[in-house]
Amino acid sequence: MSKPYRLSAGGSRIDRNRRVSFSFDGRQLTGFAGDTLASAVSAAGQRVFGRSFKYHRPRGVVGLGAEEMNALVGVGEGARHEPNLRATQVEIHDGLTAVSQNRWPSLTFDIGAVNNTFSRFIPGGFYYKTFMWPASFWKHVYEPFIRRAAGLGKAPEGRDPDSYEQIHVHCDVLVVGAGVAGLAAAEAAAKAGARVIIADENPVFGGLADISGGAIDGLAQADWALAKARTLASAENVHVLNRTTVVGHWHHNFLMLFERVADHDPARLRTGAPRHRLWKVRAHQVILATGAIERPIAFANNDRPGIMLASAARGMVERYGVAPGASGVLFTNNDDAYQTALVLKAAGVAVRVVDSRARADGPLPAKAREQGIPVDAGSVISAVNTSFGGLSVTDVRIASYRKGQGRVIKETRAACDFVAMSGGWNPALHLWCHNGGKIRFDDQLQTYRPDRHADRITAVGAANGSFTLASILEEASAAGSRLAGSGNVHPVPAVMQAGQQPMEPIWFAPATGKYNEGNKHFIDFQNDVTAADLELAQREGYESVEHTKRYTTFGMATDQGKTSNLNGLGVLSEATGKPIPEIGVTTFRPPYTPFSFGSMAGVLTKDLFLPIRRTAIFNWHTAQGAVFEPVGQWRRAYTYPRAGEDNHAAIAREILAVRNKVGLLDASTLGKIEIRGPDAAEFLDRMYTNVFSTLKVGKCRYGLMMNELGFLTDDGVTVRLAEDHFLMHTTSGGADRIAAWLEEWLQTEWTHYRVFVTPVTEQWSQFAIAGPRARDVLKKLAPSFDLSNEALPHMSFVEGRLGACPVRVFRISFSGELSYEVATPSGFGLGLWKAIIEAGAEFGLEPYGTEALHVLRAEKGYIVVGDETDGTTTPVDVGLDGLVSKKKADFIGKRSLEQSYLKGPNRKQLVGLLTEDPGEVLPDGAYAVRQVKDKPPMEMIGQVTSSYRSPTLGRSIAMALIENGRARMGETLSFPLPGGKVVRATITDTVFYDKEGAKLNV
Amino acid sequence: MLVVKCPVCGAEGDETDFHAGGQAHVRRPASHDPAHVSDEEQRDYLFIRINPKGLHFERWRCDRGCGKWFHAARDTVTLEFKAFYGITELPPADVIAEAKGQWAEYFAKRLKAEKQA
Amino acid sequence: MSELSHESPLAGVTPPPGLSVSLREITDRGMIDLRGHGSDQAFLSAVKGALGLDLPLRPRTSAGSDDLRVLWLSMDQWLILCPRTKAAEILAALRSALTGVHSLAVDVSDMRAVIRIEGGGCREVLMKGTSLDLLDAEYRPGCCRRMRFAEIAALLSVVEDNVFDVYVFRSYARYAWDFVCATAREPARVRLFGAQDAPA
Repeated sequence: MSKPYRLSAGGSRIDRNRRVSFSFDGRQLTGFAGDTLASAVSAAGQRVFGRSFKYHRPRGVVGLGAEEMNALVGVGEGARHEPNLRATQVEIHDGLTAVSQNRWPSLTFDIGAVNNTFSRFIPGGFYYKTFMWPASFWKHVYEPFIRRAAGLGKAPEGRDPDSYEQIHVHCDVLVVGAGVAGLAAAEAAAKAGARVIIADENPVFGGLADISGGAIDGLAQADWALAKARTLASAENVHVLNRTTVVGHWHHNFLMLFERVADHDPARLRTGAPRHRLWKVRAHQVILATGAIERPIAFANNDRPGIMLASAARGMVERYGVAPGASGVLFTNNDDAYQTALVLKAAGVAVRVVDSRARADGPLPAKAREQGIPVDAGSVISAVNTSFGGLSVTDVRIASYRKGQGRVIKETRAACDFVAMSGGWNPALHLWCHNGGKIRFDDQLQTYRPDRHADRITAVGAANGSFTLASILEEASAAGSRLAGSGNVHPVPAVMQAGQQPMEPIWFAPATGKYNEGNKHFIDFQNDVTAADLELAQREGYESVEHTKRYTTFGMATDQGKTSNLNGLGVLSEATGKPIPEIGVTTFRPPYTPFSFGSMAGVLTKDLFLPIRRTAIFNWHTAQGAVFEPVGQWRRAYTYPRAGEDNHAAIAREILAVRNKVGLLDASTLGKIEIRGPDAAEFLDRMYTNVFSTLKVGKCRYGLMMNELGFLTDDGVTVRLAEDHFLMHTTSGGADRIAAWLEEWLQTEWTHYRVFVTPVTEQWSQFAIAGPRARDVLKKLAPSFDLSNEALPHMSFVEGRLGACPVRVFRISFSGELSYEVATPSGFGLGLWKAIIEAGAEFGLEPYGTEALHVLRAEKGYIVVGDETDGTTTPVDVGLDGLVSKKKADFIGKRSLEQSYLKGPNRKQLVGLLTEDPGEVLPDGAYAVRQVKDKPPMEMIGQVTSSYRSPTLGRSIAMALIENGRARMGETLSFPLPGGKVVRATITDTVFYDKEGAKLNV
Repeated sequence: MLVVKCPVCGAEGDETDFHAGGQAHVRRPASHDPAHVSDEEQRDYLFIRINPKGLHFERWRCDRGCGKWFHAARDTVTLEFKAFYGITELPPADVIAEAKGQWAEYFAKRLKAEKQA
Repeated sequence: MSELSHESPLAGVTPPPGLSVSLREITDRGMIDLRGHGSDQAFLSAVKGALGLDLPLRPRTSAGSDDLRVLWLSMDQWLILCPRTKAAEILAALRSALTGVHSLAVDVSDMRAVIRIEGGGCREVLMKGTSLDLLDAEYRPGCCRRMRFAEIAALLSVVEDNVFDVYVFRSYARYAWDFVCATAREPARVRLFGAQDAPA
């Protein structure tokens, strides 16, 4: 078939001189520049765009833009594929490939369509009623079935090759929607000097101006809109955004705008432009000029391909020069839709009007009759007949109707190949409602309108339920000036527009034949919810509309009830006999239309996905082939395997180097905080469990920190630099948290303390030189200070130089060996590191990573906060009671340690573990049980907190938190592992190596 | 996303530039008389919080600004901030007057105690 | 060790081609973190004596010249910027002047990386990473403030109308640099509120 529906003339959006070739479901088609996928495919004579969600009924285009609920397509190939786009909003370009969705194997023959035949067995709540029992079926039978049957589109395959980004912008006034109302409001606000953003989801500004009759300032609406768009675009204080959907409104006027930068223009994409951009806008005032969405009418089989909204039929002709068919029936309950009849007639398409109102004699119906268009007032469409498989409309039956009448009495038949329907217009309230805006029912318009809102947001024009040009322009201009803070009212242009008679709601059109026998009155097309489903839910006792919504899934599809919401409420109103306002409303949720995951991520993908922190030695570690491990956001060298070595061997080698010779660790990530002031010592006494006021200048002390609950939260060594000056070390992961913690207490509780706290973590590169030869290495580096054990004993500090390099040296040890931690300003870090490596060569120095560090400390029974503690562990639990001061009246967490629940008899206590089989390494987290049984549940009495192969001892070692552990020394416990194996281990002291500490004080 | 304003340095911005610190005006009993804190007092200090629908009083920190802690009065329904005030201060009198339920009781007690002292 | 070699956080990193702004690391900047109470006259005059200039007391402002500039960080915290070679001398002068005055002055010259972003459109580039309204009149030369940038903490300093310095902690230097490179690509350029083409 060659373009049977493309009219010979007309089409304001298309350029007939520029042909565009694209494919739909593999079929090569040609359209014109400016076409949407919907118009171009329709022009080629194709009606069916997809299959419905539940019943797999063939579906065609219903809407003109964002409200489209049927024609969802996948666009692009491979990694560029994007599912679930509305064909009415996809602009075609050369080479575009699109596919229909939710059908198998093809659009015209779909196996899932048996669901339609058996639809009487798939009522509302079907899933809840059927897929319930037995529970074992859930995972392997029901879920895969539902997932396969329910899919809307397919996720793309492979890594997305395009880029995306985000930007934050502030404005005085954000105008949402660039129809007549939005343009007028933006102009008035801009004239008043405000910084204005006006955004519209369509490529062209003007909203529905081009398909609505009437004139402004003597210009056709569309021409007026074009002129205003030009003026706004050239203004210095206005930013115009087309192809940009305002997808959501959140607290304090935070809005997200989804801009499709290059979807329509592959050439632009190829230059490297981002495909989508997400705008995060903070607006002082928001003007919603989002217009209105036409309502379908619930008549029997109103979902057949070829049945569309009246505005969509009109737009198809006027914008794209495409006839929706050769002959059509317009079903309406209002005057506005007569414009569609007139447009169709003018384009040479046969049309007749079915109007449910008893009288249709306003100016527009009168004009239609003048043009020779037959008008059946007091009538409804009572049946739609289709060709085999429901693929196309062949004729409709027209029945006479009086309001409230529920059955068909007399019918006539009218041949047609399409139907245009209009049940009136609903203000697009989605953004109004996203953040709690209240709405009220308007009896005259028979729809909801904006009412109150806690944010600075104002609806104007059709979004506010104002449908005449004069009222739209007046309230939009006034709002624009007022919200921009201007007292001057912007002049309102003169308008000309035909008057309209009131609409009359029709929520359910009576049907030919028995109720619900092959007759489906669709309310929610996308989720396949019919009027009968809603009535059934009502009969089954779902009285609250919120329950009905979840039970039937009405309004829950990706279109968020754009076309279905009010029709559903109308049906429920008739089913219950309650007026619509008493039915209640459901919540519209963001987004207004779906937006891409790419735009949500922006540039924060790949290397930028997570901020990675690097020490000054990072590149050296990398060059040495280090394996890294994440510690918070840091990447720390885990071990340095040599050629032919696995991680285990490398770690063992590094450990033995420290025990027997000397090792070098990059400890730069340790938190460092300078604390100074007359009350610094007293403040530290409040923060730590142990006493710091007695610490001598130049000495170091290990400290424990609890939170107010009495649980361990951090530990580290603090040195007293001067009487009133301390340098605190925290764990690597705790650096920022502890600095903030200290500030918090100073600012909020002990405000009289004179103490300053300055975090300096990254000022310093810090290395541990550990092992019996550590002093020899340092001596070679020309220290400006005495390194002897007498001058610089364990837990002391000195500041000086190594050669020319300024250093702070702490004689502290986390390995149990003679050990110095050397800190130097980070810029000197790499130079010093290399110098130490060089100086250490003759002593067998090796760099060691964090795993060796962990094994070394475990051999000595030193805890790691976060390994031996889990957020509910007290200092007493880990055997550090000695570090909890009895003398200090108060410190953080002290009082909580006295609470009954922390003094109970069965606390878990830290113990050492030696497995019966020395080669067996318990897994971290393995549970000890009171009694081994065949299968779980077994009573658990504790868990392994650290477990390693110790090359020093030539066997495995572990630590564990065990109920009453310290009273169980020598007891053997069982640790059942997944798979049935049971490991047995004996409780010991936690110190496995050098219990006397002889190696420390040399 | 809320817009927060620091009363100390005047910086205004997204809540992501700030740090929410839970309920305001929680008294730490151990700071006053550490030897005589009952189990119940300590429990209330650690765990018991007011969770009103409506006006609430909170602690915030100007995390990405001056670093100072401050107080805020916020309506938990409309999310409107009614006042920002110093970390050692009480809310403005007109905001205290709007407080309901447990908060009204708290402020009445506190103002009375301050008058006596 | 005899010679001293100093390496900046972004040593060896160069901007990729095709950026809409110019980008470089400033490596020779000395920085001193100074704590003291802005309400303490003894502190203020001691600092003035040592630096020869008044500390800026208005939030988010700075004072001084190219050679010696002080950025306001908080009511009780400032960042003193100077040539790197001068930092030790200035710190010593400060500490000596502040003897007996409650304060804390620390050399933090190696704690942060400084990224200079220069050129038309640099505000828009930065606005891809921060929710601050950089088009507001507050962000004129001399203004400085801490902010959340991308996913990290940063300090922003407006040097000239189209010249910004972004200070980030040293460990995040590469992340921040890569973020700016990703958002500053010429094809991704955004021009806010200027004259535009009308939507067709």
